[in-house]
Amino acid sequence: MRNISLIRITACILIVFGLLFFGGCKKRDITGLRDVAYPTTGEVFIDDFTGDLAYSAFGGSDVKAFQVDKQETYASSSASMRFAVPDANSPQGSYAGGVFYSKTGRNLSGYNALSFYIKATQAATIGSIGFGNDLGESKYLVTLNAVAVNSNWKKVIIPIPDASKLTAEKGLMYYSAGPENDRGYTFWIDEVKFEKIADLAHLTGIIFNGQNNTIAKAETGDKITINGLMATVNLPSGINETVNISPYYFTFLSSSTGVAGVAENGLISIVDAGTATITAKLGSETAAGSLSITSTGAPIMPAEAAPAPTRDAANVISLYSNAYTNVPVDTWNTHWQFSTTENFFVTVSGDDIIRYRSLNFVGIEFKNPPVNASSMQVFHIDMWTPDATEAPNNFKILLVDFGANGVFGGGDDSQHEIEVTSPVLATKKWVGIDIPLSSFTGLTNKAHLAQLVLSGSVPNVYLDNVYFYKNPTNPPTGAPVPSTPAENVLSVFSDSYTNISGTDFNPNWGQSTVVTQTPVGGNNALYYAAFNYQGVQLGSSQDVSSYAYLHLDYYSANASQLRIFLISPGPVETPYTLNVPTSGWNSVDIPLSAFSPVALNSIIQLKFDGGTGVDVYLDNIYFWKIPPVPPVAAPTPAYPAADVISIFSDAYTNVAGSDFNPNWGQATVTTQTPVAGNNTLLYSGLNYQGLQLGSNQDVSGKTYLHIDYYTANSTSLKVFLISPGPVETSYTLGVPTTNGWNSVDIPLTAFAPVALNSIFQFKFEGNGNIYIDNILFR
Amino acid sequence: MRVLHIKTQGKLFRALSVVAALSVSLASCKKNAVQTLPQRSWELTWSDEFTGPAGALPDAAKWSFDIGASGWGNSELQYYTNRPSNAALDGDGNLVITARQESFEGAGFTSARINTKGNFSQSYGRFEARIKTPYGPGIWPAFWLLGDNIDVTPWPQCGEIDIMEQKGQEPYINHGSVHGPGYSGGGSITKAYALSNGRFDEDYHVYAIEWGEGYIDYFVDNFLFQRITPDAVTGEWVYDHPFYIILNVAVGGNYVGFPTSGTPFPQSMYVDYVKVYKQK
Repeated sequence: MRNISLIRITACILIVFGLLFFGGCKKRDITGLRDVAYPTTGEVFIDDFTGDLAYSAFGGSDVKAFQVDKQETYASSSASMRFAVPDANSPQGSYAGGVFYSKTGRNLSGYNALSFYIKATQAATIGSIGFGNDLGESKYLVTLNAVAVNSNWKKVIIPIPDASKLTAEKGLMYYSAGPENDRGYTFWIDEVKFEKIADLAHLTGIIFNGQNNTIAKAETGDKITINGLMATVNLPSGINETVNISPYYFTFLSSSTGVAGVAENGLISIVDAGTATITAKLGSETAAGSLSITSTGAPIMPAEAAPAPTRDAANVISLYSNAYTNVPVDTWNTHWQFSTTENFFVTVSGDDIIRYRSLNFVGIEFKNPPVNASSMQVFHIDMWTPDATEAPNNFKILLVDFGANGVFGGGDDSQHEIEVTSPVLATKKWVGIDIPLSSFTGLTNKAHLAQLVLSGSVPNVYLDNVYFYKNPTNPPTGAPVPSTPAENVLSVFSDSYTNISGTDFNPNWGQSTVVTQTPVGGNNALYYAAFNYQGVQLGSSQDVSSYAYLHLDYYSANASQLRIFLISPGPVETPYTLNVPTSGWNSVDIPLSAFSPVALNSIIQLKFDGGTGVDVYLDNIYFWKIPPVPPVAAPTPAYPAADVISIFSDAYTNVAGSDFNPNWGQATVTTQTPVAGNNTLLYSGLNYQGLQLGSNQDVSGKTYLHIDYYTANSTSLKVFLISPGPVETSYTLGVPTTNGWNSVDIPLTAFAPVALNSIFQFKFEGNGNIYIDNILFR
Repeated sequence: MRVLHIKTQGKLFRALSVVAALSVSLASCKKNAVQTLPQRSWELTWSDEFTGPAGALPDAAKWSFDIGASGWGNSELQYYTNRPSNAALDGDGNLVITARQESFEGAGFTSARINTKGNFSQSYGRFEARIKTPYGPGIWPAFWLLGDNIDVTPWPQCGEIDIMEQKGQEPYINHGSVHGPGYSGGGSITKAYALSNGRFDEDYHVYAIEWGEGYIDYFVDNFLFQRITPDAVTGEWVYDHPFYIILNVAVGGNYVGFPTSGTPFPQSMYVDYVKVYKQK
């Protein structure tokens, strides 16, 4: 009996001899070496190792599983190969497996099969036996799987799919066998040789397991591996045998190489739009199976990166963003059953982006460890899609919390799904989706978030900047600067106005609030730290009855309730609820009527309440109004006179002969009155009012109807254009004009179906007192 | 009218009457032997080239279907149908008889068996067919003749001449046989002819008999591998009346054994033509 180490020594000696031999051939023409003929020896192991055969055991296998045996041999030959499969979990190795290889290689092109006899101590199924494993690339691997053996010798034939490939093959045989029902056994192999068996027939190549597959939505850049590579041969017994074979035995063909190319290793590359069918030949015979590919060409991708997040990393838990350190995410595609989604990691302008294709739903898991988003307020995701996004298309975001046990199930999970639709969804542009975690009402816990599930009706999605965030307790910027003219304002606290003097911003009403005035973005703000409630004692009692609104800018990222009160002596006080938390500065204009029954002619105090030790920033607290009479003239239009058909304006020559007060039965009192020296049309007590042009006007060459208007008290105002019929169409004007004169340029298309080549009347409808100027077409 | 002339010259066989010597010699010569055969002139009397569109049934003026699953005296497993999926022209000039593994009318396999009974029969002459045979354990293709007096003179008295029979588990062996009274079934007079370097199912081969008064010669690819004479049969010689032709692919049965899980299905027998000649 010989053992493996002896064999290796023998092999080494052979190599030494080989080197000596070549050492004596120095005088040979070096080019002659190219045509070295490999031995055509077919014998591998008859009664001993043949030629330069060597053995190497697989890693993790029992390295002593193989021995040469002189007791149990086929047909009483002198030796056989014995393989002792170990028990499961044997310390020597968990299976038997290894490679018999020729160090120099052999020319096997004259044979059509590897054959041998095999028997075992018991009925068993050997995992794999084959050839072509050369401990390297193993380019021409052939494997017969699940080889059934029993205690009788039987012949096994493993066909060579295309012997012309095997001109320098080193991998002469390999095997891998595991225990049966965890118990080891022994098998013997003898008379191993490559031979030409005349009665092998009907060799058929198979790709894709013989299926004619279809890929309907390939794209340029896709790589597809041809799998299911096999060959079937009919044995002399008439029985079919199928072996797994390497791609290098096949010749792959593409019906359109301009659409899809295929390399000799079976890797298909999509290179352009179109259709292509991939087939294969084994030798000269067409293999069973094919792949029909329809490519849509290059994927539609965003041209630019998603907007870079600007939030302070301290307020962010990021799953995916170049701007932050991301928490561990187990997978961006769990490939759950029935999910068609494919994911790709792509780069746009240096920005890493996740791409999902064929998205029906996709699971994203981050359970090791789960994310504790208890202190976070908002879920953010940037999204880009080339697909249609108008209703009823949608994109759904499901967050799942695994509960305290940190694993799926167990009765402590919670989840909620939010559906996002147009106009938040948009096509071919980056949209930032910000969903307050409070909107995920079913998500009762946020301390063990472990899954994000995306679904919906947009199959192509690019995502970036997936993170949770909280708003900073201090505003990152100053409050917006007010634009209301100072003469219309009575200011309590603002850098923009003169404030009521003598106001005490921190009267001691027993509150825990710590009040400071602090600059935010260069703008002085009122900061309530540890806020529970807080009063403001005005420097003097104020009559605000001539004002219409109380303006307030406020910021609180962590408040859950906030109310403002006006107080008159009594005290009479009325609260108004402010929406909190805020994600930035909120500006409100509260109609003073909301504070009824507080005496507006005697306001002495303001109060805020609702706090639980939170942070609140306030700015621009003032009362304001719109003067009933415009303090200034309407702005003078600057359009060239040649471009204008003017109806009513001091700046142009108007259409002659217009009647600005035709009697259409209206209650409106119409006058023309100068405002700061500029003639202005005033409709007092408007219900409706006509305007009869001096002649029919063709304005079809114009684009806009321009009107300047001003009203302090109107709550409804519409303008009509009228052509004969009459055909009339209205356009609604925003009222009241909180910022002084409003200048509108109404597209004339808004008045369809009025005949623009024959305008002969205007009409205004609404209420209040309206100042109007500069009615013109341009 | 086509006439086939077979002219072969050689050294091995000088006299056709020396049948015993011929048979012994063949056993060792097989394919590579050179045969000397007598010159015979043939006149075509009947043929089917199986031209026609793919999927068409064989010409009903020539062929009838045997239908059913009775086992056909051999415990065969198939149900013979007349569906195109079991027997049809392939559009390339071949008749294709296909054995399928499918449940049909209580049988586990289907196939087809067609005959010329009532349409054509002949005594004596050359019967030949060019066939690519199917394969696999339990597959039993056959090209054979039955005496056309079978309805009044039951088998085996009517006589049976098996020009080609193969067992799919031995795709390299062809069998030629006669069955008659006292030598039917397992006792038939038969001889096997094996390819030493290949298989019958890999390509078309011409299977033929040349049949005259007192002899039946069996050929594969015009190689004579057996002569049966009245002296060779162990009972009455019943081959002096007209016989009709049968083509079929059986699945399982006493002769071939059962198909195995390794038998590839479907299995098709391709028949390029069947031709019958009379000696001029």
